[in-house]
Amino acid sequence: MTYILRTKQLTRTYRGKEVVSNVNLNIKQGEIYGMLGPNGAGKSTVMKMITNLVKPTAGEIEIFGERLTDTSYRQLGRMGTIIENPIFYEKMTARDNLDLHCEYMGYHNKKSIDEALELVNLKGIEKKAVKEFSLGMKQRLAIARAITTKPELLILDEPINGLDPLGIKELRDLFKMLCKQYGITILISSHILGEIELIADTIAVMNDGKLLQEVSMDHIAKQTVEYIEITTNDSSKAAYVLENHLHISNVRVTDGGHIRIYDCHIPQSEMLKLLVLHDVEIDGVHKKKGSLEDYFLSILNGGGIVA
Amino acid sequence: MLKLMKLEMRKIRIGNYIRASMLVNVVILGIICIISLTEGMEEEGLLFADYDNVFSVIDTLIRGTYIVFAAVLISQLVIDEFRNKSITVLFMYPISRKKLIAAKLLIIVLFTLAADIVGNLFVDVGFYVLNVFASVVSEPFTWFDAAHSLLTIVMSALATSFLSLIPLYFGMRNHSGAATIVSSLIAVVFVCQNVDGFSMYSIIAVPISLALLGAAVAYISIRNIEQVDVLK
Repeated sequence: MTYILRTKQLTRTYRGKEVVSNVNLNIKQGEIYGMLGPNGAGKSTVMKMITNLVKPTAGEIEIFGERLTDTSYRQLGRMGTIIENPIFYEKMTARDNLDLHCEYMGYHNKKSIDEALELVNLKGIEKKAVKEFSLGMKQRLAIARAITTKPELLILDEPINGLDPLGIKELRDLFKMLCKQYGITILISSHILGEIELIADTIAVMNDGKLLQEVSMDHIAKQTVEYIEITTNDSSKAAYVLENHLHISNVRVTDGGHIRIYDCHIPQSEMLKLLVLHDVEIDGVHKKKGSLEDYFLSILNGGGIVA
Repeated sequence: MLKLMKLEMRKIRIGNYIRASMLVNVVILGIICIISLTEGMEEEGLLFADYDNVFSVIDTLIRGTYIVFAAVLISQLVIDEFRNKSITVLFMYPISRKKLIAAKLLIIVLFTLAADIVGNLFVDVGFYVLNVFASVVSEPFTWFDAAHSLLTIVMSALATSFLSLIPLYFGMRNHSGAATIVSSLIAVVFVCQNVDGFSMYSIIAVPISLALLGAAVAYISIRNIEQVDVLK
């Protein structure tokens, strides 16, 4: 497996405080790599260092197999980026902005502008000046700009900010498509776990400038477990019945009258029948997958940080 | 480099500046006409005694105008890009930052140079035509005078175009467009007084050293650009 981007002991200090400390990322070619962490975790700073906007205090970055230096312009031409808020030349139209972008990038296939606008659903309003755009529209346009030149690496810093749920879903599908069909590697950051979970192949959890864990989703899928959650008004009795009559030992009673049964080899119907027989009122039954949230909260807390 | 300059000019719509500068030239010609036609009525010393004097006044007016013009260009081409953070977009392109900034500064210098020369020629010719009808200045205007004036205009414009970069220094300190314009006005006050045809600017060392200062400001703003953080 080849790595398209690696950082080694990447560190950045602002006024004596380390905002990014000793971060080692390993991003494989063709994957979607999600950076997850609360606001101020250092995600943006890492991305700014990758795009050469901020210089590392220590450590190094290797992109496309070459070390990133102050004058690594060629590498910049192979990336598409959105850093922080979408920034445009506001007085110019959407199309002019993209056209200008292509000129600067040295990309001369102007048909790709239409394609990109179509992909982000901004067709028909490209003649409008950008200053009339809403934040969500600017966000889409920024994505269009990042993908017009068909980059090998797409760097997206909080790309779904300001979008409605439908838009988020559209873009999620778009990112997956870009990754699968065009083989574009995507580095995406977000503080919303649910988003990263749905899209990423590998997740890096950051907090307080440190990389807490870098883990592949396959690996997490193996670790997380399924369980049945039963809501009842008498959880202790229910637990007693389950343990004594069905010999299920892996039962946990949680707050608010829920019991979780991690032992899934006994059919749900049998459990319910037994509970009803023993006069346990059942308000609801859910089959659940241990969410990624639990997993990541445990990482964040395990790191001694109050999430 | 030419391509970069074209792209920059597309961003700021250079056409607007050209139209504005033509308008300004007409206004200055108007002012000169009014002065020359009313001046004769007072009996004090004549300001417009000969071509040299008239051209010196015209040059002063034009110079002052285009120093401020240059400051507006600086603030739109350079300062605004930093303030709106659109410079981050620019600096993520596969182009040397030095080249990107140099293209911007070159536009400013060349625009000022060209506008200063064209403005001078336009108003001077305008005055000459006026003189044919109204005869404000009685001395004859020879080809030698014309060549001499042209040389003076070009040299003065060269110096002006470089010294007009000085406001860049003050503007960049806080990324403030206002500071840019104000410092250009101060520069105008300094180099554009004209008392009886004498100005600071006519001491040859003054324009030369100011031009060098402008060039130094440009150099400083480019020198370390590759190494600095663009965003905090």
